[in-house]
Amino acid sequence: MTCPGCGAAVAADFAFCENCGATLTPSEASAPAPARDLSARTHMISLHAEPDTPPVPLCAECGGAVGDDGWCTVCGVRASNGREHVTEQPAPTVAAVSDRGRIHRRNEDAFAVAAHGGWTALVVCDGVTTAANSDAAAYAAARAARDLLAAAERPNGSSDERLQHWSLQAKAAALAADEAAAAAGPNDDPSPPSCTFVAAIADGAAIVTANVGDSRAYWLPDDGSAEQLTVDDSWATEQIKAGVPRHVAEADPKAHAITRWLGIDSPGVDATTATTIATGPGWLLVCSDGLWNYCSDAATLRSLLDKQPSEPLARAEALVEWANQQGGRDNITVTIARIGDSS
Amino acid sequence: MADWTAQVFQNEYLPEGATDIHAIVTVTSHGTGHAGESGGAAEAIIIDCSGSMGAPQSKIIAARQAAAAAIDEIADETWFAVIAGVGLAQPVYPASGMVQADGRTRAVAKDAVSRLTPQGGTAIGQWLLTAYEHFQAAPATQRHAILLTDGKNEGETAKRLRTAVETVTGEFQCDCRGVGADWDVGELRGIASALLGTVDLIADPRDMAADFQAMMQTAMGRGVADAKLKVWAPQGAELLFVRQVAPTIEDLTDRRVNVTPLITEYPTGAWGDESRDYHVAVRVQAKPIGAEQLVARVQIEVAGQVVTQALVKALWSDQTELTTRINPAVAHYTGQAELAEVIQEGLAAKAAGDTDTATFKLGRAAQLAAETGNEEATQRLAKVVDIEDAGTGTVRLKRDASKLDEMALDTSSTKTSRVRPS
Repeated sequence: MTCPGCGAAVAADFAFCENCGATLTPSEASAPAPARDLSARTHMISLHAEPDTPPVPLCAECGGAVGDDGWCTVCGVRASNGREHVTEQPAPTVAAVSDRGRIHRRNEDAFAVAAHGGWTALVVCDGVTTAANSDAAAYAAARAARDLLAAAERPNGSSDERLQHWSLQAKAAALAADEAAAAAGPNDDPSPPSCTFVAAIADGAAIVTANVGDSRAYWLPDDGSAEQLTVDDSWATEQIKAGVPRHVAEADPKAHAITRWLGIDSPGVDATTATTIATGPGWLLVCSDGLWNYCSDAATLRSLLDKQPSEPLARAEALVEWANQQGGRDNITVTIARIGDSS
Repeated sequence: MADWTAQVFQNEYLPEGATDIHAIVTVTSHGTGHAGESGGAAEAIIIDCSGSMGAPQSKIIAARQAAAAAIDEIADETWFAVIAGVGLAQPVYPASGMVQADGRTRAVAKDAVSRLTPQGGTAIGQWLLTAYEHFQAAPATQRHAILLTDGKNEGETAKRLRTAVETVTGEFQCDCRGVGADWDVGELRGIASALLGTVDLIADPRDMAADFQAMMQTAMGRGVADAKLKVWAPQGAELLFVRQVAPTIEDLTDRRVNVTPLITEYPTGAWGDESRDYHVAVRVQAKPIGAEQLVARVQIEVAGQVVTQALVKALWSDQTELTTRINPAVAHYTGQAELAEVIQEGLAAKAAGDTDTATFKLGRAAQLAAETGNEEATQRLAKVVDIEDAGTGTVRLKRDASKLDEMALDTSSTKTSRVRPS
């Protein structure tokens, strides 16, 4: 089939000519175009008859071919990274949900989770929107950290020994995440790929967190006081430290300016660690600012969590939906793990 | 293999309803090697030998020495010819076509140029056509010429010159030099610009040899024979302009070749190890807050292969602290482009006796040169006007400004300064 506008050869099922951008109307000679599932944002359709040819992704907005650079070659819209809404449940007690929210066109958050036999790792990275390719950096960083933690030795020592062990491992995970983020390239960009980092490890009752940036971990026990385990590396936190009330500092337009991040231009990746011992059952929650922006206080977050369905995945989904109802101004990632239930 | 990089400088954040995106793309090449590596190189040296070159005699003497200095820089195996510009062009060496450079041919050529004598008139179009004939006789794809003149193109009609320039455009590059004060800056700039070369004034004939030597060295250091700038803009977008902004300003917009309805292509000639900046402006339809769009792919293509690409983006935002930022590179080169324009317009007004317009335009030039830190422009302006207050652009035309100083200001008006590190 050829384009009626410019005569270039075009695949029969293209909606637009890749060469000139003209709209293609299906000719009788060509095979009927396959029905497009418009709920999915990327469609893979083979450009040539050869089965070996990798499929060319098509733009969800206009049907044009997506370039190697990830942008449509006709209308210039960025192709989906396939992460508009992703969920994972590696164990019955652990769930993760990430969503692009209501405003951003792209989800640049990423999570990576692992759980087996009373051990859980939750990792969340939030790609910095103003830097290039940050969604890829966040994705690679979260996975690198999770993989390092999952492969680490699990000592049978005292709680203190385990806290010490996982604190070291969490710092190592941050370094691995940083390397992965830096490798996401392009490294000659004036604002190279970068992302935040938070990891929480629960080994029995021993809980360790490590973070760089403003993604957070909370411990929300059924009884006793709920607490935010991580301390943000952010402008708002610096203001709060200096005595500005939390609600004032967090409402400032500069509140979200992070002071540390992962990536080539990172100002330092020595992750800040924190430890706690669970004295009873509760929820470990690790999230991006897309959630906590609407509910920063730990106690309020716990009462919000308690209102949701008890099954972990439904609960994480409900929190994400709640954040979307508040406006969904940012990407939202919620990972939760139920800790300490006697089974 | 040469290494290419393309870096984009822009503020991609647009406020609601905004449609225009400006970006500076810096293209840098490394490891390009030497001229002729891909398909052979050829050089033509065209020396004005009209009667005026003998008055004073120092001009033709300097021209002989300069031609010899350039010949010395021609690398072995490079094809070359020396042509004398008289009423019609005459081959100086070889008698026809081109020869390959070696110790012997360089010596014979230098001997021939030492006997150049002034005679006849100035017909630059004829000289260029003759050079083209010589180039066609050489099996070389990378072609470059140096043209020296001391006068206006009075030996042929303007139309013949225009036709000749059109004929040779894209066939070879040509650096043009004017010696003395009797040549026409606009005329020579037009030729150099069309032929992807530089233009400059040689005020003192004694500086000619060094300038010719440098020009030939630069030409010999260009290992990439031909590169094209390609710009993709999305369907429905309008490419407002494409402009080279460093090292010199060249508006490329009218040189575009439409590759597809979405892709335009611009010739950039041969490249050595260097860096050039391009200013690309695109108008798109406004999108809702939160939307992002690729508004240009800026690519360099060598021998049919895209060797580097920069992406220009738009992202509509309601955060004024993002949308109100002005990118320093865009601001700087917007100022440099206006600087070149007001210098040329100011000098033209002065030549036409329009003192008010000249004072206003050159005043604005003094202001822009100061604002953008273009010290060379400030120094050259100060020889033509008394700068009373650069901040407000208040100047007085110098009554005794020399023609050469005005020409120096004019020829260098398109040279830009780089962005100052902030």
